[in-house]
Amino acid sequence: MKILQNSGVPIYQQIAEQLKEEILSGKLKQGEYLPSIRGLAKDLKISVITTMKAYEQLAEEGLVTAAQGKGFYVNAQDSEMLKEQHLRKVESALLEAIAAAKIAGMQEQELVETLKTLIAMSEDA
Amino acid sequence: MKDVIKGNNLKKKYKGFQLDVPELHIPKGFATALIGENGAGKTTLINMLTGIRMDYKGELFYFDEQEQDVDKVKERIGYTGPGNYFLPHWNVKQVEEISSLLFETFDEEKFWDICVELGVTTERHVNGKKVNDLSDGNKVKLMLAAVLARKTDCLILDEPASPLDPLMRDKLCEIIREYLTEGNGEKSVLFSTHNISDMENVTDYAIIVEHGNVVEEGFVEDLKEKYVLVKGEAKDAKAAEKILYSFSGNAYGFEGICLAADLDKLAGMDIQVEVPTLFQISVAVMKANSTLKLH
Repeated sequence: MKILQNSGVPIYQQIAEQLKEEILSGKLKQGEYLPSIRGLAKDLKISVITTMKAYEQLAEEGLVTAAQGKGFYVNAQDSEMLKEQHLRKVESALLEAIAAAKIAGMQEQELVETLKTLIAMSEDA
Repeated sequence: MKDVIKGNNLKKKYKGFQLDVPELHIPKGFATALIGENGAGKTTLINMLTGIRMDYKGELFYFDEQEQDVDKVKERIGYTGPGNYFLPHWNVKQVEEISSLLFETFDEEKFWDICVELGVTTERHVNGKKVNDLSDGNKVKLMLAAVLARKTDCLILDEPASPLDPLMRDKLCEIIREYLTEGNGEKSVLFSTHNISDMENVTDYAIIVEHGNVVEEGFVEDLKEKYVLVKGEAKDAKAAEKILYSFSGNAYGFEGICLAADLDKLAGMDIQVEVPTLFQISVAVMKANSTLKLH
């Protein structure tokens, strides 16, 4: 896990995002426990309350559940929700690309061609 | 939330100074920072909590109000003070011998491990320097070694970071985190500090004291939502100054801390909002409550 001190994104959010990605990508599996709050704080050299807030955010989003005295474990992920999450990510990345294309004065046709080329390239790889 | 230390109506009067803390809560399982100007009452408060000072009014409860036995409370708390509390002519070996007489759980081997690790002595079981001949930083390290060699449930450290170099401050943060991890919610740390930035990443709860009163306290993540750092253009500086807690402006613009709840009052201004650091929040709260006018 990478924590940036001066990125403008609160540290708890950085932790939550990275754990979320691991959960949604299936790296952290259903029923698995997240690292202990104090253990993770120690490893990341941050305060306990910051880690706690990250875990609480994940719990609020329904990704993990707190088990009294045992820590936080990963919930079963709804595959529909998972797909939805990924879809939203694709959309926001594409919107960003569209905005950048506008600034660069790219035509719609050009942008679509670029996307197609990139898809072809990643398929080759 | 459980309290490792709880206080009610704590009062202490000196000439021209009064400490008055109606309610004190030091949360269990966390690191709490006591922040405030010189003379704000941090050391007075710590001395009351550690029993160094007994001439005060009010009540104190320890370990979820579960521990009543004063001797047991003292056995379970590890304290390091500003300066040094060992006799100046003792050498390191004598500090070890006396500590092991004073405290049941004092572990001699652990003491020497920590002395060598922190560089107080170069080897284990040597006489070492006299306390008086140690540098200020090494005096703090020696107190830490003696305290960490015991089995405690709470550390109370009065200004531990000040005499330490940057490397050792980093090490101190690591020591505090390790202590909390090892305790898994059962061990707590309270420290006073002027080095807020150095200690920020190990501070869970902050208590800001000004002329004897607690003027702000809370979990750091909550404080970072309660206050915001505002940056704006010079044209709005005058209007913003009235709303901001701490304010600094120049020809190009201004910046300051304000309550998130007061952001509405800045509506219409061309501002940017950031999450403040604990240092920025502390300075703003201290400035707002200080009798010194440093603007």
